[in-house]
Parts: sequence; structure tokens; C-alpha cells
Amino acid sequence: MIEVTSLKKSFEQIEVLKSIDFTVNKGEVVCLIGPSGSGKTTLLRCLNLLETPDAGTITIGNSTVSFNTILKKREIKELRQYSGMVFQGFHLFPHKTVIENLVTAPITVKKGDKATIQQKSEQLLEKVGMSEHKNKYPDALSGGQQQRAAIARALVMEPEVMLFDEPTSALDPQLVREVLKVIEGLANEGQTMVIVTHEMNFAKRIADKILFMDEGYIVEQGEGNQVITNPQQQRTKEFLSLLEED
Amino acid sequence: MFEWFSSIQWEYLYDFELAIDSLPFLLEGLRITMIIAFFSMIFSLILGIFLGVARMSKLWFIRWPARIYISFMRGTPLLVFIFILYYGLPVIGIEFTSAVVAGIVGVSLNFAAYSAEVVRSSIMSVPRGQWEAAASLQMNYVQTMTKIIIPQATRIALPPTFSIFMDVVKGTSLASVITVQELLYSARLVSGRTYDSMTMYITAALIYWVVCIVIGYFQNRLEKRYNRYLSDTH
Repeated sequence: MIEVTSLKKSFEQIEVLKSIDFTVNKGEVVCLIGPSGSGKTTLLRCLNLLETPDAGTITIGNSTVSFNTILKKREIKELRQYSGMVFQGFHLFPHKTVIENLVTAPITVKKGDKATIQQKSEQLLEKVGMSEHKNKYPDALSGGQQQRAAIARALVMEPEVMLFDEPTSALDPQLVREVLKVIEGLANEGQTMVIVTHEMNFAKRIADKILFMDEGYIVEQGEGNQVITNPQQQRTKEFLSLLEED
Repeated sequence: MFEWFSSIQWEYLYDFELAIDSLPFLLEGLRITMIIAFFSMIFSLILGIFLGVARMSKLWFIRWPARIYISFMRGTPLLVFIFILYYGLPVIGIEFTSAVVAGIVGVSLNFAAYSAEVVRSSIMSVPRGQWEAAASLQMNYVQTMTKIIIPQATRIALPPTFSIFMDVVKGTSLASVITVQELLYSARLVSGRTYDSMTMYITAALIYWVVCIVIGYFQNRLEKRYNRYLSDTH
């Protein structure tokens, strides 16, 4: 479903991604963990081309883009249609109600039938438990509600892969669980997902594969929750022990 | 202090009768003022949107002319610019058939620069996350601009845009120096005839004020409409 090879990305002089290779199979849930500044978020943003990598290739679905040549607009468009993004800061459109947040993109981009889109959007809101709030503006919602709406908004475009960038980091602790529950529900339905997270217990529970990143490299990766329960690399052990100290 | 106070001839301070009598004449002037103001608001806003977008362009040959234009217009007095248009341009063969048109052109071209800055700053104040969310939903530049960015930028731009509109109304008074018979010019005519400057200019000032109050009323209504998506805590 996703194949990333030799991906590199620098900001100014700083090499954020040094050479990244990994694959994600259809239906897999992959969690990216690692210290701040390790490049997890940048890697995720590269998958959606919110950042343009300097070198390497990304394949998602049927679309392969090489960054060793100049990127074309058509390639960006093509690659993006396979993935949906959920941001740390939600980024709902504040001037639109919840339901309008969902229907705007499919109506403008896909030019689909409005009634069908409306119906599908309402089903998705039902799924994330936001039906009763569908006519509210984001400003009137809690962070957890906003994030659940944002998940539904990404899903309505029917992405092959869902990308989550620290989806619960901006939430009050008591709101984290309602968002994680929604994500777990998606995992159980077989939605392919890549999740950047600091919630280790959540990652342990949900991941089919965990990648540990540090200083621009994938230091360690393993099936299931092995990376967390039985780390092999010294740096992974150090990172996990630091978390336990809290 | 006391001497100055007791020397004021209160009966000359404001002559209501004169004010009422000359009101129709002043309102005729106001009509011209409003014509210039109305067209100038529209033209300066339209030109300002183009200039503001050009000012943000990635292409230097679009960005720099816009920058220089904005810098010149903001950095020179409107009065000087109106003189250049009306008395200067005929030297190179460009002559305005009507002073009113010259006034509209002068005020529009000048205030477009201020509008451009409002357009630019309000678009830039929409958080980057909004662009990214739209991009991740496969919306292109034009779709993102029209559906996501401009509606939010408009809310931010409303108060400064209405300030510009009020400045436009007041700026039209400068057209009086190129013989446009607008409100201030009319007040000056009556004042020259009656020697009652105080009454005439205060009346003119009050009329400008009323016009700006009406503009402020529309601003409030629009702001309320554009703020409806914010909860009361803001």
C-alpha cells in the first residue's frame, strides 16, 4: 500500500530525514514513535506532500512519485488522493459547520452528487459520534469533538491510507480516550493507517508494526508491539525508559 | 483666560438659521461627495484586491511593481497626487474632462494601496493549518482561496476596510481644491459669502460625521454576520 525508499528531507542546513525506507501493507496500522525532532511528523507530512522531500520515492496505492526529478503538480494531486490527513491542531474550517466541513471538499473536488455526499457525511459523523453536533461551528466544540469531526472530514474523501499526526497531543487528558477509541474503531475495520503518536499504550494496543525514529533515521522497526515491549536497540531502550520515568 | 472667554461673541458661534437655510445647498455638495466616495470605495477595493494578491506573488516581476506602487501611494499625500493628476498630467497631454472624474481616479488609486495592505495582511493572518487542511483534502489553490481562505480573511479585513471607507469619504474633501463642488467646497462658498466660517464648517463636519456613522452601522451589521461562527467567549 505504501512503499518509501531512500527518502531524504532537509530544512535549510538541517537534515531532518536522512534516508528512510519502510513499507505499509494494506490494512496495516503503523505507529511512528520517537523523541521530538526525530523527524516523525516530517515523514508523515512528506507522505501527503505537505512537505516536498529532496530525494527518494514514495508509492501510495497505484501512484509512485520520485523526488529525484522536479515534482509536477499532477503528481502531487495524484499521490494526495490516496491519503487523508488528521492534524495535531485539528484545522477544521472555523467558518463552516461540522457537516459543511465534511461536504465541502467532496463537493468542490470530486463534484459528486450532493445528496449522496450529504448522506455519506452523516453516516461518518454517526460513526465518530458527532451526529448531534453536525450543525455546530467548530468553535462551539471541545477539542475531542473537533478532532473526531476532523477524522470524519478526512474519511469522507475515502482515502486508502489515513495519516494521523499526533492526533491527541493537543487534547486535555480526559478527551484523549474518545479520539483514540474512534481511531481504534477504524483499525478494527481494516483501515490502513500511519499514526505518529506519543501514546505508548495506545501504540502497543493498536499497532501491527511500530517504527522507532531518532535523528532522521528509522532506528528500529518490528511487528506488533515488539519495539515497545522488547526493544533491541540501545537508543530505543533509552527513549522508552525516559517515558517510564514520568 | 477670562478676557478671552468673555470676548467670545456667542451669538456668532453657531447660527442655526444660516445652517438650516444653507442645508439644501450643502446636501447638493454632499451628493457629489457621495458619488466620488461611492465609486472610489468600489474601485479602490477592486484594485486593492488585485494589488494585495500581486504583492504576495512568488514572481518578482509581479510582486515588485505592486510593492513600489503601494509604497509610493502610502508615502505621498493624496492632495499632492490629486494636483499631479489634475494640473500635472495635462502637460503630457492627459486631461480630465471632469474634475469629479479626476477626484474619483485620485482617491481610488491612492486608497487602493491601503486596501491592498489590508487584503494582504488579512489573507496572511489565516492560519497555515487552513491551507494545509484544504490541501490534504485535495483542494487546489483557487478552491482553497475561494472556499476556505477568503471567507475567513474577509472577517479579519472588515474593520480595517471600513476604516478605509471612512477615510475615503473624508478624503473626497481634497477634491475641493481641484474645483469639485462637493460638500467642503459648498460650505466654503457659503462661508465666503456670509463670513460665518464657524457655522458652515461645523455643519459640514457634522454631515461628514453622519455619513461615517451610517458606514459604521453597516460595518457592525456585517461584522455580526461574519462573527456568527465564533462562540461568545471571543
